[in-house]
Amino acid sequence: MRALTAAAAGLAAALALIFTITAIGAPSGTTSPKPLLTTVPKHP
Amino acid sequence: MRRNVPTTGTTPTPPAGTHTTDPARRTAARGMRRWASLVLLALAVFFTALSPLMRWYAFPRLAKIPPSQYQDTVLEAKPATLIDYGTMKAKQVPKVTIVQTLKGDVAASDRIEQTAGRDVVVWDALSYVAGPDGKMVSEIPERYIFDAHSQEPVHATGEMVDGDPVRREGIEYKWPFLTEKRDYTYFDAQTRTSAPIHYKGTRTFRGLEVYYFEQTIPWTKVPLPKKMPVKGITPESVEKMGTTRWYTTKRMFWVEPVTGAPVNGQEIHKEELRGGDLLPGGGKVTAFAGHVKMRDDYADSIVAMVTSQRTLVLLLTSYLPWGFLVLGAALLALSLHLEARSRRPAASARRPSSAPSPASDEGVVSGGP
Repeated sequence: MRALTAAAAGLAAALALIFTITAIGAPSGTTSPKPLLTTVPKHP
Repeated sequence: MRRNVPTTGTTPTPPAGTHTTDPARRTAARGMRRWASLVLLALAVFFTALSPLMRWYAFPRLAKIPPSQYQDTVLEAKPATLIDYGTMKAKQVPKVTIVQTLKGDVAASDRIEQTAGRDVVVWDALSYVAGPDGKMVSEIPERYIFDAHSQEPVHATGEMVDGDPVRREGIEYKWPFLTEKRDYTYFDAQTRTSAPIHYKGTRTFRGLEVYYFEQTIPWTKVPLPKKMPVKGITPESVEKMGTTRWYTTKRMFWVEPVTGAPVNGQEIHKEELRGGDLLPGGGKVTAFAGHVKMRDDYADSIVAMVTSQRTLVLLLTSYLPWGFLVLGAALLALSLHLEARSRRPAASARRPSSAPSPASDEGVVSGGP
């Protein structure tokens, strides 16, 4: 019974961690102020 | 390891962690092992569960093209053939440059996501073709909307090529993460249609293993660009004269398969104007022809960027899932070992109490010489 409880706790922690990370996700940022280029840039 | 200690005549104290005849301490040690094995079991399940969750649940939700991405690429054709609109004849020029810019529109992607129900990227793209003097030869703007992870096209208002509404099928500019060795459907902006792009094998490009793809678009009648390089000439005026624009290309991409990012691109591109009053008698003239290749400094920069992104994707798809699996197995083995030890009866408990216990001697450090 104790082993089952420990395994369930481990599984719950893993699920909680993954759901939290994916829910937070990456910030979307803002649109770049740089224009669409109509001149040839000298370097990247 | 034994160490020598001067004999004092007093009973030496067994070092910690060794067997003892003291039943209370033995019971406590057994209890500690049982608790440790349970904690290790929980950790083993935690890491083992994280392995598939990381690969199959987190990876598709975390590996995404950022909606705010901005990227420019320069390609060159040296030499190239261009039309001289004054004489309506083709002439060879030393260089034609294509500047390709991709700019993510974050506000538009947020708006489309609300109805699409998934993470979406909206790219405003511009392919600006400059002649040897830097003046505009043609420019084609596009709006490309796609799923941030799978690269599948998302159809929403605003999707266009040069102002014409389009409905893309397949991919454009980028391949999906974990690109497969198979043909894909690739959207051609000039013809506004999609056609297969064929996987032609694995190559090495600047130290990276890449998949090589090739697509050939046969001669096809295509619309004239909305913005013409000569003042007073509009696509409508050319069409009125009955002159049409035709195009063929062989498109080549070297794609890094983990990120799906092309690290090199080339095109053998030909455009012609045919017939009408501008070219009477069914004549035709080359409007642009050249072997377009990515400029070296841009190829270097893209390889460097892709190499770093590749490590992040591999972390989610390979390094962490396999690492967690191995760690989980090791922790499970340790947990079972501790559990087995906690259940094993101590040797001294099975012997008569009067008999000298060898276990009691185990902790005794060596006497003098």
